[in-house]
Amino acid sequence: MNRYLMIDFTKCTGCGLCQMVCAINKTRQCDPSLARIKIWREETRGVFIPMTCQQCVEPSCASACLMNVITKDPLTGVTIRKLDNCIGCRACQMACPFEACTYDHLLEVVVNCDHCGGDPECVKICPTGALQYLHLKESLDCRRDAEALRRTAFYGEERSQG
Amino acid sequence: MSKSRGYAGQILEVNLNKKDFGRNDLNQDFCKDYLGGIGFNARIIYDGVPAGIDALSEENILVFSVGTMVGATFPTASRTEVSAKSPMTGLFGTSNSGMFFGTQLKNAGFDSLVIKGRADKPVYLFIEDGELSYQDAANLWGKDSWETIDILKRKYPGCEVATIGPAGENLVRFACIENGYYDAWARTGLGAVMGSKNLKAVVVRGTQGIKPHNVEKLLDVSWKARELIQSSPFFAPFKSYGSMNAAIPYGKFKALNANNFSQGCLPDWKEDFARSKVEELTSGHVACQSCIIACAHWVEIKEGKYKGLRMKDMEVTPVTSFGSGCGMSLEASVKAAEMNQRYGMDMVSAGGVVAMAIELYNRGILKKEDIGYEVAFGDDDGILQLMGDIAHRRGLGDILAEGAWRAAQRYADGESSAMHVKGLEIPMIDPRGRTSTWSFGILTNIRGGDHLRCRNPIENLRYNENKHQFQKERFGFDRKMYEELDMPEAMKSEAIDWESDTTDVAIMSRWAEDLINLLNSLGVCIRPPVEHKIGPTILAEAYTAFTGIEITPVELMQSAERSWNLMKLFNLREGERPEDSKFPRRFYEQEVGGKKLDEDQLQEVLRKYYLARGWEATTGIPGEDKLRELGLSSN
Repeated sequence: MNRYLMIDFTKCTGCGLCQMVCAINKTRQCDPSLARIKIWREETRGVFIPMTCQQCVEPSCASACLMNVITKDPLTGVTIRKLDNCIGCRACQMACPFEACTYDHLLEVVVNCDHCGGDPECVKICPTGALQYLHLKESLDCRRDAEALRRTAFYGEERSQG
Repeated sequence: MSKSRGYAGQILEVNLNKKDFGRNDLNQDFCKDYLGGIGFNARIIYDGVPAGIDALSEENILVFSVGTMVGATFPTASRTEVSAKSPMTGLFGTSNSGMFFGTQLKNAGFDSLVIKGRADKPVYLFIEDGELSYQDAANLWGKDSWETIDILKRKYPGCEVATIGPAGENLVRFACIENGYYDAWARTGLGAVMGSKNLKAVVVRGTQGIKPHNVEKLLDVSWKARELIQSSPFFAPFKSYGSMNAAIPYGKFKALNANNFSQGCLPDWKEDFARSKVEELTSGHVACQSCIIACAHWVEIKEGKYKGLRMKDMEVTPVTSFGSGCGMSLEASVKAAEMNQRYGMDMVSAGGVVAMAIELYNRGILKKEDIGYEVAFGDDDGILQLMGDIAHRRGLGDILAEGAWRAAQRYADGESSAMHVKGLEIPMIDPRGRTSTWSFGILTNIRGGDHLRCRNPIENLRYNENKHQFQKERFGFDRKMYEELDMPEAMKSEAIDWESDTTDVAIMSRWAEDLINLLNSLGVCIRPPVEHKIGPTILAEAYTAFTGIEITPVELMQSAERSWNLMKLFNLREGERPEDSKFPRRFYEQEVGGKKLDEDQLQEVLRKYYLARGWEATTGIPGEDKLRELGLSSN
């Protein structure tokens, strides 16, 4: 995998433009529920956490799929789907540890972020830089870890507050 | 409009008496004439509310209309207008709020929600994908708005909630409708109307999808609009400090509502409410749907009495309502905002009423035994207690819950302490300190003493020169700013005199009101960088791309003018008189910072404004020619 969609939730203001532009580009409709990117809205804490397909190297969605719909693109490392075979059972959605799969209720299939073929619209429209499309370098792992730690810290704090 | 684009295409009409509902298709002429948002509301209320009814009776109609551009990528288009006959003013009551309610309502299949009648016991409405169900609200009645939203959001994941708090249930006249936790349709007492209908909340959720007419053009025009907004000099300061930018200059001008409009500014205002203080208390920004500015602050109070309080706040209006109007500290004003949101009360009116009560107490008209405890400017304990009493109509709170104008009439010479226009409390601006398009707009505002329906799109806060009250304000920008302003050339040269570097208040007010009415119809925000750069030209392009309905910039402005005139006709039908367009007596009689208002000069500007609108010069009644031009003539 050579490029990665990096999320820094601390920069997100929750405007939802990423969802809107994603839904429009993929479905020609303005329905945020169809977007391949989601925002978990922790409204009462002023925190908005965008989440999209993490392009796992060994994706659990692929293991869960009964129809062998999900594969990895050998060139880009992006998780891709042969939707003709998808029966919409949503097993992949349940298997995803990031809750990053989207059920497309128009086509009745499950979809995931495909980086728009290498030029993600959400990254272009994000007004704060919370979404970035980065080249895979050594430092990227550190940045991914940093984001994971930010999230762990956020939810850890929430738990300790009950 | 079965093949509707951009619009959801239907109006949902609810009758709480019969517990039923109907769906009416929008037709294209209605869309073009009234656009959406406040335009739809103006027509629906003018046609549906019988003249002279009690605003809290079941005959009143409560309308939620989503702005046309909402729920897509057009920057800052997020806003929904709610209107009814106002229990505060008895005139057209209306309020505008953003966040995500509009997107959900449109995705649920409706551009407007029209609520009639009164339920026999508390209910809430659940609207999802073209369907509506009545739900029992017995377990929610009495809960504050934050608790209510917690419960409903848990029950319906991903929903948006409009709810009233205890103030709305208790028919406090300035109760608001909370739009999620931290936003509200606040002004003019719409929460009391909702409470009078036994309607606790409206829950919306939808996945029907809004289909743009031309996706590529919509995305294109959205980018263009974004670049325009970002090119405004007001963009960067607004992105950093939001509306708090106005706090310091208004203090400097002595144009604040300090201690119930008695002194223009508080002694340590500059230090206590400085930008550094805002930075200290805030940790991030929060946006509405599709907003590239994110002017709202996330506040966390880390020490002192209110330690641990976290919420979205630090908007100049509530901060000045409590901080300057009632003399509270910045931290205490955040606490007051929290309590008012939980109660579901309009923070401007609540601050105004409390400030009046403190002044009456200081004047000896109210006694400690009337209140039950002591109140003073800056005493947060007393003020917060009084706000609770108002929300629950306890003791003196029962009188104050009627609003400043009505409450003041119960006391000899009480009226002189009530700072209102047409029954609605005036927000932060004292026109004695700054006579401008913005402060003039308080007089001509369709909803009474309020500052949000008229603001010079190119107001210059560096200058405060007004040799002739309200006639002119300093323009003070360069030629490029003048040339790039999206305004028809003939009107621009009339409104702004480049040679003398001045803006004509009367002419600009007329333009600004129509422009804001247009933005409120289309659901686009009116924050300064947006109002400055987003004019009818780009909006016409956006409207056509989204809806497929061809419209010109001139037609757009005319549609906005049409609904403004219709609201004025509503007000006249409800008995608004020309002499009601008047500031509180204090502004003409007592000086602040060495200045007071001159009634004759002000009347002259009003006359000029009426003429600019095509209204009769002394009475402000829309003329027959104007009504015919707008297609509103009944003859």
